[in-house]
Amino acid sequence: MGETNKQVPVTVLTGFLGAGKTTLLNRILTEQHGKKYAVIVNEFGEQGIDNDLVVDADEEVFEMNNGCICCTVRGDLIRILSGLMKRADKLDAIIVETTGLADPAPVAQTFFVDQDVADRTKLDAIVTVADAVHLSTQLSDHHEAEEQVAFADVVLLNKIDLVDESRLDAVKDRIKKINPFAKIIHTTKCGVSLSEILNLDAFNLKRILDTEPDFLTSDHDHEHDDDVTSLSFVSDTPLDMEKFQDWFSKLLQTKGQDILRTKGILDFKGENDRYVFQGVHMLMDASPMGKWPEGKERNSRLVFIGRNLESMNLKEGFENCKSA
Amino acid sequence: MKADSNKFPELNKTKFENRGKEFKFGIPVTNAITIGNSIAVGFGDGTVRIFRSGQISEPIKAHSGVVLSISKDGEDILTGGDDGRFLKISLDGEIKEIANFGSRWVDHVTAYKGSLVCTCGNIVYLWMPNKKEPKLLEHESTIGGVAFDSKGRRLAVSRYGGVTLWKKDYSNKWSSSNLIWKGSHNKVIFSTDDRFLVTSMQENQLHFWRLKDKTDSFMSGYGAKVKSFAFVYDSKFLVTSGSNEAICWPFDGNGPEGRKPICLPYVGNKPVTFVEPFPNENAIFTGLSDGSVFLSEIEKSTNTIIIRSFTESEVTTIAVTEDCSSILIGDIGGNILWTSIWDEEEK
Repeated sequence: MGETNKQVPVTVLTGFLGAGKTTLLNRILTEQHGKKYAVIVNEFGEQGIDNDLVVDADEEVFEMNNGCICCTVRGDLIRILSGLMKRADKLDAIIVETTGLADPAPVAQTFFVDQDVADRTKLDAIVTVADAVHLSTQLSDHHEAEEQVAFADVVLLNKIDLVDESRLDAVKDRIKKINPFAKIIHTTKCGVSLSEILNLDAFNLKRILDTEPDFLTSDHDHEHDDDVTSLSFVSDTPLDMEKFQDWFSKLLQTKGQDILRTKGILDFKGENDRYVFQGVHMLMDASPMGKWPEGKERNSRLVFIGRNLESMNLKEGFENCKSA
Repeated sequence: MKADSNKFPELNKTKFENRGKEFKFGIPVTNAITIGNSIAVGFGDGTVRIFRSGQISEPIKAHSGVVLSISKDGEDILTGGDDGRFLKISLDGEIKEIANFGSRWVDHVTAYKGSLVCTCGNIVYLWMPNKKEPKLLEHESTIGGVAFDSKGRRLAVSRYGGVTLWKKDYSNKWSSSNLIWKGSHNKVIFSTDDRFLVTSMQENQLHFWRLKDKTDSFMSGYGAKVKSFAFVYDSKFLVTSGSNEAICWPFDGNGPEGRKPICLPYVGNKPVTFVEPFPNENAIFTGLSDGSVFLSEIEKSTNTIIIRSFTESEVTTIAVTEDCSSILIGDIGGNILWTSIWDEEEK
């Protein structure tokens, strides 16, 4: 089928109202050089979007009857993405702007769950625009702000000209605590090179290996139970595959609602390949990704981002997966 | 003929292809509608082309984006596009804009004897014959599909959570009732005898309601979403895509509950992407993801003939002329085959 089979990358733009999503969107659209983008906007857009292919969407979150209790998808995206794929002119990228109060999970889950969407498009990255002045308050006041940071592959920390250095560091620490993976980019008026936010392929398992995220074991203070935090674990002892699968699948089944994102690179006893996985709530994408590189240490690293992580006995569970 | 080509008939052009006409547009074919012995075809660049006796009209520049939906009102074509326009197009190519919703898409269109319907988001816009202003029927979520029954008295609107069934009384007032089933419902159709209502769902299954007592059940076991389905032969069967076989559910008597479907396999074992009834026969045309198209009799599965060999592009539409003399096949790669169904001596 040639061209029609190529997956079009989809970038999801999240962020609270006033953070600068529309500014970023218009920057992307005006800086494009001969690229064809479709922009899916929501009805609460802040100002005009200057593009010839703007699609209005109502954010409709659907529950799926697929036995996955927390599995919701964005029905409007399924409809619009499959419609866009029928176009004669091929799109270079699709950008989805979400409302300020949107939970990014249903958007991400749509790309795991809907086969048509997964066949023809791919989730490129979740880019969260955050207002350096207001983010701390928003994180304390709104679950949605925490989720948007937790799901982000890139956090565009905007309006840094309006805060002093110590306040900026505090905001950055707060972001890192929630999401150690996210790349933080400082901007004023969303001035950022497009190559830093588009075509990142952040959901590709290969990229997890390339980016070598910071998997340092985290030692952290006890947070409020419903704060989003992250925990990471490293083991130099190879893991027992059966034990790990047993523990991990039970964990996601029972705690999937509180576990927002997971990523990991695993070293299983008796296996020559590296196993890489990533997940959104209860949904997982996992695959062996070739042999361990020569001269590099073999170890297992995994990270959880979520709520109430302290109550899940993650350390103990992970320790129990080590091969005897 | 060599032994090889007997074994793999799909490697050769079929007699239908040899005597038909092939067109290569390179633009995805999105849908088609039969009007008498003409067939109007919608494309992914917003154009509509009309085929008649193997001849093709000039492209009609209907929409600026995709022709998302197509239907007819008498001799006129109705289209909805991702440019937000709802259009009525004559077979001569004259375009009349009925409504324009800007950046909101016109997802579905249908009509019954001069009553025109389009949907945009969660609203059904209904123009009664000769009325300038539409009636607005609002729903809680975006509409997945819309269908009139055979008498035009009921309008089924599928959506998240079930179907809203609108009923017109004799003073032309519409009232609604709900058929509830959890999940997101897409395309909806009435059986040709109006006894059943069937929807396809976001999950890989279909749901149906027996309208006289509103009992409902589902048809599952599919490997993919069921995007194409239709009733054949006075609603004796519901034929469906969504599997590597055409799945034909019995809808005579009380319907399919507790009964097994007939499954029609095809050479190549590729997913079925489009099914189209052979008018007035217990037979269907089946289009596959590799572009091949077959004609099969439902209860005699050995009686299958290949109409089109593969093009490697998923079949997106099949339409048959009203006199059943010709068939049009379109695919996602923009290939169209127009051919006569009967051999000269069979006519």
